[in-house]
Amino acid sequence: MSFITAYCQISEVTCSVNGNVVVQKNEQSVDTWFKQLYKELALEYPKFYKMDMLAQAGFLGSEFIKKGYPDLIPSYSDDEIALLFANSESSADTDIRFRDSYQDRKSPSPSLFVYTLPNIVLGELAIRNKFYGENMFAVFPKFAPDFFLQYGNIMLASGAKAVLAGWLGILEGRVEVSVFLIEENNGDGLPFNKENIIQCAGWGDQA
Amino acid sequence: MESLKEDLKKHIIEQLNLEDLQVSDIDDDAPLFSADGVGLDSIDALELIVLMEKFYGIQVTNPDEGKEAFLTINTMADYIEKKRI
Repeated sequence: MSFITAYCQISEVTCSVNGNVVVQKNEQSVDTWFKQLYKELALEYPKFYKMDMLAQAGFLGSEFIKKGYPDLIPSYSDDEIALLFANSESSADTDIRFRDSYQDRKSPSPSLFVYTLPNIVLGELAIRNKFYGENMFAVFPKFAPDFFLQYGNIMLASGAKAVLAGWLGILEGRVEVSVFLIEENNGDGLPFNKENIIQCAGWGDQA
Repeated sequence: MESLKEDLKKHIIEQLNLEDLQVSDIDDDAPLFSADGVGLDSIDALELIVLMEKFYGIQVTNPDEGKEAFLTINTMADYIEKKRI
C-alpha cells in the first residue's frame, strides 16, 4: 500500500505543510506572495526569479515539503521519484503575459516564451532535484483526484518508488496549489486514496 | 558612457528578472555568460537581443557580432556607441 507522507497547500494568502500553516502572506510587504515564500525558505537559487508563476508554484510546494521533511526525498535514487502534476489552466497565465509582451509592448519576450508550456515546471523540478524518472503533466476541466490515484499507482507499479504529485492552479492572481509526496514503502502517512488526495488538496467540495 | 553602462545594467536586471542583483553587483568587465561572472544563459542571450532593439534601436543580425558584443557590459556599451554613429 502507498501513503501520502507529506503535502503542501498554497493559497493566495497562506502556505501550509501537512495541514499546519507555516507562512501567512504579509500584505504590507513590497515583495510578491511567492517572493515572500521563497525568502521564507532561505534558499540560494536565483533561477527561481526567472521562473513563471506555474513553475514557481511547483518549486515552492516541493521545497516546503523538503524543508519540513529533509530526509524524505534524498533517500531515493535519481530515477525512483516520478513527477505527476496537473491543472485546469495549462500555462495560460504565462501565455497571456507572453501575448501581452508582443501585442501591447511590441517586444516578444523569450524568457516568457519558454514557459508557455505547462510541463516546463517538471523540467524545473528535475533540474533542481536531479530527478531522472517518469514525469507527466495533464490538463483537466477541474481538479481530478481519480487521475492522481490511477496514474500515481501506474507510476508506482512501473518502477517508481515515490511520486511527487501536485495540482497547480495558477491564473491571473488565483493560486490553488497543492503538492504531495506519495511513497510506496513508508507507512507513516495518509493512505493513498481518493479521499486523502482531496483532503491534501484542501478544497474537497470542488472535487 | 558611464550613464549608458548604468542604464544598460538596469535594463538587464529588469528584463532578465535578475531580482537578487543590484547595479553595483555587476562589474563593467565581468563576463556576462560565465558562472564566475553574471551567469547568464542562452535564453538571456535572446533577451539581450530583444533589449538592444527595444531600448537602443539596434538589430543584432550577425551571430558572431553578437557573441563579441555580449561578452561584458563594456563590450555592450562599446557596441551600442559604435552602432549609434
